[in-house]
Amino acid sequence: MTEASEIRVRHWLLAAPALSLIGLFLLIPYINIGIMSFRTPSTTAPYGPGYTVANYVHILSDSLYLSLLAETLLFATVTTAVCLLMAFPVAFHLARTTSRWRGLLYAGVLSPLLTGVVIRCFGWIVLLANNGLVNQALGTVGLGPFQLMYNATGVTIALVHVFLPFMILPLMTAIQSIDPHWEEAARTLGASRTRVFQRIMLPLILPGLQSGVILVFVLAASAYVIPMLLGGGRVQTLPTVIFQQLMGGLLWPFGAALALTLSFAVLASIWAFVFLGRKRMRGLA
Amino acid sequence: MRLASTMLLISVTAVYLFLLLPIAIVVLASFNAAEYLSFPLAGLSFRWYAAFISSPSFTSAFLVSIAVGLAAAAAATVIGTPAAIFYVRFLHRHREEFRLAMLAPMLLPEVLTAIALLFFFNQVLIGTQTLLPLILGHIVITLPFVFLTVSSALYNLPATVEEAARTLGASAWKAFRRVTFPLIKSGIITGAMLAFIMSFDNVNVSLLLKAVGTSTLPIQLFDYLRYDFDPTAAAASTISVALTMLIVFAIDRIYGLRAVRF
Amino acid sequence: MSRLSIQALTKCYAGAAAVANIDLDVAEGEFVSLLGPSGCGKTTTLRCVAGLETPTSGKVLFGDRDVTRVPPERRRIGMVFQNYALFPHMTIRENIGFGLEMRGVRGSEANKRISSVLDMVQLTGFEDRWPRQLSGGQQQRVALARALIVEPAVLLLDEPLANLDAKLRDEMRFFIRALQQRIGITTLYVTHDQAESMALSDRIVVMFAGRIHQTGTPQHIYDRPATKQVAKFIGQANLIAGKVVHRCNEVATVDTSVGRLLCATNCAVEPGTPATAMVRPEAMQLVKECSPNAFPGRIMERHFLGNIVDYRVATADGTVLAIQALGSIVHDAGEVVSVQIDPKKAWLLE
Repeated sequence: MTEASEIRVRHWLLAAPALSLIGLFLLIPYINIGIMSFRTPSTTAPYGPGYTVANYVHILSDSLYLSLLAETLLFATVTTAVCLLMAFPVAFHLARTTSRWRGLLYAGVLSPLLTGVVIRCFGWIVLLANNGLVNQALGTVGLGPFQLMYNATGVTIALVHVFLPFMILPLMTAIQSIDPHWEEAARTLGASRTRVFQRIMLPLILPGLQSGVILVFVLAASAYVIPMLLGGGRVQTLPTVIFQQLMGGLLWPFGAALALTLSFAVLASIWAFVFLGRKRMRGLA
Repeated sequence: MRLASTMLLISVTAVYLFLLLPIAIVVLASFNAAEYLSFPLAGLSFRWYAAFISSPSFTSAFLVSIAVGLAAAAAATVIGTPAAIFYVRFLHRHREEFRLAMLAPMLLPEVLTAIALLFFFNQVLIGTQTLLPLILGHIVITLPFVFLTVSSALYNLPATVEEAARTLGASAWKAFRRVTFPLIKSGIITGAMLAFIMSFDNVNVSLLLKAVGTSTLPIQLFDYLRYDFDPTAAAASTISVALTMLIVFAIDRIYGLRAVRF
Repeated sequence: MSRLSIQALTKCYAGAAAVANIDLDVAEGEFVSLLGPSGCGKTTTLRCVAGLETPTSGKVLFGDRDVTRVPPERRRIGMVFQNYALFPHMTIRENIGFGLEMRGVRGSEANKRISSVLDMVQLTGFEDRWPRQLSGGQQQRVALARALIVEPAVLLLDEPLANLDAKLRDEMRFFIRALQQRIGITTLYVTHDQAESMALSDRIVVMFAGRIHQTGTPQHIYDRPATKQVAKFIGQANLIAGKVVHRCNEVATVDTSVGRLLCATNCAVEPGTPATAMVRPEAMQLVKECSPNAFPGRIMERHFLGNIVDYRVATADGTVLAIQALGSIVHDAGEVVSVQIDPKKAWLLE
């Protein structure tokens, strides 16, 4: 072996453990789950003999699962939209502020991400329960009590809360990358502040915005812990149903098919979103 | 103009409140003397912390979380650091593909990964009788964080520093040991700490891969919140948050939070 | 096209004045540079004229119109930035057409004007390219075209050539000047490069620490600097300290450590006041014999630069003078010479 190729092999050895880990514990299991979705379900064992497409047929012809899928995608869409609205002011402020509290503000957005999902849901349960803090506060002015939990409202609030930082951070990065000189140049050319926002800022933020939207959408569509905690069994999404299927009963092939159907639906939605936005993205590397 | 900036400030404050209030509430509830949280507080008390310490299910879950976190973080660091070095210094072709592979666990939905691993481990005869599948699952999930942090530390270190060492007579290994490694040490430690936090807080993977009879702290909290409700869970949560914040503070001191990017 | 008037302009940041009491009048069609080291306030002044900064006090007028409180988009200015600031998400056509778009000019009318202005900056056919496909010099010309197409009242340039390499800078210098003269637009130009400002400007405004030290033509500022700082910043200067002995009309006699010098002056200085004589390197000659306004010295260093020779000459008291002479007569290091100063070219500074 020549010395050059010997060195190359040594270099690849550095990456070998990581590549093996990914290959063995990610790639293969994913291939496996694909295969699993085509196996025959069984109630006595994780799966039965032989292969079939019956799982997918069942899912795609059953209105129950289709409506579950639609609801899950709806939750994800609403969550993403609300996150986008709420993320804008914070991302703007964080990207542009020169105050010395900037580090603290940044930590304020990052810290929730480093706190567990369960703990954050816990806080919402305390706030949104029928005798929770929000209803107590409203009660002092004679309003309510409102049903804020164990329904779609509570689940959506918690979903937005948990995934908001994932929208703020890419948006903030995108805004930071906008050279203030571009805005100034536009103003010297006669653009009012609104026009500057429309024609300069918005188009340049689009890639970051797209990243944030995709990220939050995927996360919200795959969430099962949050709907279970805030929905209390009365709100069912496809992920929660999948989880119950796998934990409660066997029928793994069916669960696998459900999981992959959801994934494909999510991917298709994202693809459509990117496709529709591609005209606005031209010129932006 | 004035109006616009005041409105901006108001909305920013509102969003920050929205982000931080639930966590603050939990911390508050853990010190509450009464069982239900109400305003004004019924009184301050440590009783729930006492309950936490004397609860075998909570304390063992806490210890399991720590142990799994340490194991996963250590393994992810040992595996991820050389991979990052390879990517930044030695890989010249198919860079995007390699990077995608390293970040895949972060890009794919955790739920899907968890299910895939559940099937895999059960079919490969390990089963979920021991903590091994859980730890392996956590290593996979936390690897991208180590990879990203160490890569970023390496990018900030120009290759010319190593090259200078080589021209002064140091072998590749010596140059790494005496020049590169000390300079990226803070990045590696930060990656390890991030990995620990991600493992400690993890629920999606843990719920599916946990061994029968064992529990991690987030799972324990999850069960508690579904069926029970007492502020012992708040005390457990606060301890968890305190631990996380301590580590975040340490990261900021050592490396700087600004460098943490996903 | 209009006159630009800056009156008592002051801009403070956190209590400290970046720009203090600036008065300047730029005539219609005139090219004026703001020259000074980094931090002297020249860019701040320019940005106040553009409306990108609001002055703490003072006024900016375009002709008779007080624009001090008018936002930039309504001032009818054209501005060229140091890093070009071309919109990365728009083609060259869209970049240049942006100002027209803001004024409601679109379609074929706009395209016609875009083509003609691209011709003017010698970038015909570049309409559909993207900024990132262009070199630095090309981007700068697009930035110029973008600023000029809207026919602004005033053209503002903020160190536009600073990011270009030396050769390109020279080319663009001539280009900008020629363009400006052809169009006849009132121009304010910020730079820290004194050679650049001397080559381009009708008049130069030299600024230090937020204040104007001198305003005048390049020739005037070079020959008759108002302060020591201006003398040192523009070209090279030998500064010889001394005391005024006698003054008669425009000539002062100054007693200095190197000898008695005759200097030109336009101030009414009294005998006895301390003063500095400023002599440019090329205003001194190396001769063999002694004569009035000359004194002995020894050549310490000599650098042959082709068309000129750079000398460092030490006088009897140890003062080292920088002297430039034509390359035809070359003296060697170590030689003892007589340094003759042309009294008309020696200038007295306070």
